[in-house]
Amino acid sequence: MPRTTTLECPGCPPLRALTFDSLGLIKVVESRGNRGIAHVVERWGSPDSTKCVLAASIDDRKQDPLLAVARKNGTVEVVNPLNGETKISISNAGVDTEVQPEDDNIVGLHLFRKHRQSSSCNLLTCTSKGDANLWCVKFANSSSDNASIGDSRTWKIGSSGHFLCSKVDGSETYAVFGGKGIEVNLWDLEKCSKIWTAKPPPKNSLGIFTPTWFTSVTFLADDDHRKFAAGTNNHQVRLYDISAQRRPVISFDFRETPIKAITEDRDGHTIYIGNGSGDIASVDIRTGKLLGCFLGKCSGSIRSMAKHPEFPVIASCGLDSYLRLWDVRTRQLLSAVFLKQHLTNVVLDCNFDGKEVVEVQNVKDVQIEDETVALPVKRKKTPKEKERSKKKAAKDSERSNKLRSKKKSRSLESQIDDDS
Amino acid sequence: MGVKKRKNETEETERSEDGDFVDGREKKKKKEVGESKKKEILPSMIKNKEKRSEIYAKLKHQKKVEKRKKIKARDAAEKQALELGEEPPAKKVPRTIENTREFDETVCMPDDEELFAANDADEFSSIIRRECAPKILITTCRFNSGRGPAFISELLSVIPNAHYYKRGTYDLKKIVEYAKNRDFTSLIVVHTNRREPDALLIIGLPDGPTAHFKLSRLVLRKDIKNHGNPTSHQPELVLNNFTTRLGLRVARLIQSLFPQDPNFRGRRVVTLHNQRDFIFFRHHRYIFETKETKQADSKGKKLKDEKVEKISQEKVLARLQECGPRFTLKLISLQHGTFDSKGGEYEWVHKPEMDTSRRRFFL
Repeated sequence: MPRTTTLECPGCPPLRALTFDSLGLIKVVESRGNRGIAHVVERWGSPDSTKCVLAASIDDRKQDPLLAVARKNGTVEVVNPLNGETKISISNAGVDTEVQPEDDNIVGLHLFRKHRQSSSCNLLTCTSKGDANLWCVKFANSSSDNASIGDSRTWKIGSSGHFLCSKVDGSETYAVFGGKGIEVNLWDLEKCSKIWTAKPPPKNSLGIFTPTWFTSVTFLADDDHRKFAAGTNNHQVRLYDISAQRRPVISFDFRETPIKAITEDRDGHTIYIGNGSGDIASVDIRTGKLLGCFLGKCSGSIRSMAKHPEFPVIASCGLDSYLRLWDVRTRQLLSAVFLKQHLTNVVLDCNFDGKEVVEVQNVKDVQIEDETVALPVKRKKTPKEKERSKKKAAKDSERSNKLRSKKKSRSLESQIDDDS
Repeated sequence: MGVKKRKNETEETERSEDGDFVDGREKKKKKEVGESKKKEILPSMIKNKEKRSEIYAKLKHQKKVEKRKKIKARDAAEKQALELGEEPPAKKVPRTIENTREFDETVCMPDDEELFAANDADEFSSIIRRECAPKILITTCRFNSGRGPAFISELLSVIPNAHYYKRGTYDLKKIVEYAKNRDFTSLIVVHTNRREPDALLIIGLPDGPTAHFKLSRLVLRKDIKNHGNPTSHQPELVLNNFTTRLGLRVARLIQSLFPQDPNFRGRRVVTLHNQRDFIFFRHHRYIFETKETKQADSKGKKLKDEKVEKISQEKVLARLQECGPRFTLKLISLQHGTFDSKGGEYEWVHKPEMDTSRRRFFL
């Protein structure tokens, strides 16, 4: 066992991540420079447990980006992801007064990226009771403050069960929903009609039927709405292909705790899964083979993961209140940021360019660069120093002193044990 | 390692007592001649036991003398400094595993407003703010025998407002539901294995976390020498050394088991002391005694002054008497929500890859 841990954080490419936590805070984490170290830049909102963020969705276009956040008290906020300014806050209860927001939380939220005008946006929300809502939200500019909800369409996607996950595909015409007691089903958003439902896998050889309980779902590719992967509460990952059959094409187990987060890679066949005890792995879904696990002292349940569209980086966050950035190819931890609260969601702002900020905040970046320069030098030095010190130790009595102190501490330990 | 140490030690002694020891000089000469010969001197390399032990004893004696000298010199320096009215040399602090702990960013800072907000929002805040009184259900695993029942009866005496329910053959999830309906605030499950209690499960009830502890070194009241019997007063609670966010959460979970208004008349104190991730549980009675008679006697013979008596009267000694069980807990996992072994989400689980250093602690 090594005596000390030097947390090897090689640093990550310039990126910007937004995390959402159980106290309703939004924290912005940025890493600048080529091998920057990620750190918290901004914090928006005040801590309030009723504003716990349940779902978030970002449209990270170059001009006029938007971020939608669903909170526990039933409100959906549209926020500018660059400065945290709230553009509009819609209350779910206002639309549907019969249902109390306490037991009917929003579980899925999607901000449409296509066909978006500058003064309005479309939102899809899905509640745990099975109400899907397609909203057109108009927000006026700051001069005239008459933000309003345009036409909204509400329909029931299921009456029984408890919805837990939803996902909209790349073309934004189809959405898939799933939950506890609900098989995954695919909906056409234009017609608001269900086009496909999965069939539960057959009973096993002992005649035992495991109840359906989907916890996470994702489409495999942006341009293909037919294939999607789903994770279940009894630690199974399934691949569905609606053009093939209603039962899963591939199904495999991953560890012992429920799959809590699933995210896809751009290449269309790799998926990343995170489970309730903090294990993350990448899987080739064509064969169902495990490519490898991401090891990095991750001790709490993974709640959300996000893949950067360009860099080979994924971000994961969860109940251990760390935001972790991983290299996909080497499966190594690039950076970890402690964010103090139970994190529920993470999104990546892929239009963030570290260089743009360099001009604005010159001093900070220079410092960071200095650090990054200094780091490799240090690393080079350390082995040499060690050797030197070893040679020294052979001659000097320093070492004996060290050893003595070690023995002392050992004896102290034993004393403590005796005391107890 | 031991060999090297001894070798270095001898070198040191040689250097310090160069003039006195002829042996040391000889050794030095030998060392200069060649390193191969120096190695032969090491006691562990001598095969003859008699000779080896002889040399070893010599070395040990030298070391002892050295140490004594050092202490003497230190004391003398201190005395001299005091006589001259100077500041005595600073006392050296031994390096322990605790004070060389690895840097941990999760350690709570006292000026963190987010921390207070999180504390206010967590599951135990209603109990800790005395909005509702804790009510605890204690049950066991399915087969409870050996020291289990005795341990539970002692737990019942330690924790006020605790109720023991027989486990029967109920599922734990059903018991959780039952306890929720009866307004219990916590559930403790004592797990026994081979008739020895070996695990403790503390579940915060409406929706609080589930902590799974390993229980070890259990000593019951009757096995403690000169033990006291606790009164039924509400105990004071001492929670020591819970520094990180996880530690604070565990501490608050434990805090929520006890009523927040201790009765100081009872002079009963329950201590949970965290050291290197082990939580030590102790239960004491304390008393403040003024030991006037004894000191007055012993010093009165010598001086016979009234002043001395006055001082001794003011002197108050605290005495402890241990009562109740004594055990050690170690956190294995902290689960989000109530007990759910299959579908549960963990806030923290111990994984082997986290044990990278002896100086890394989680609580």
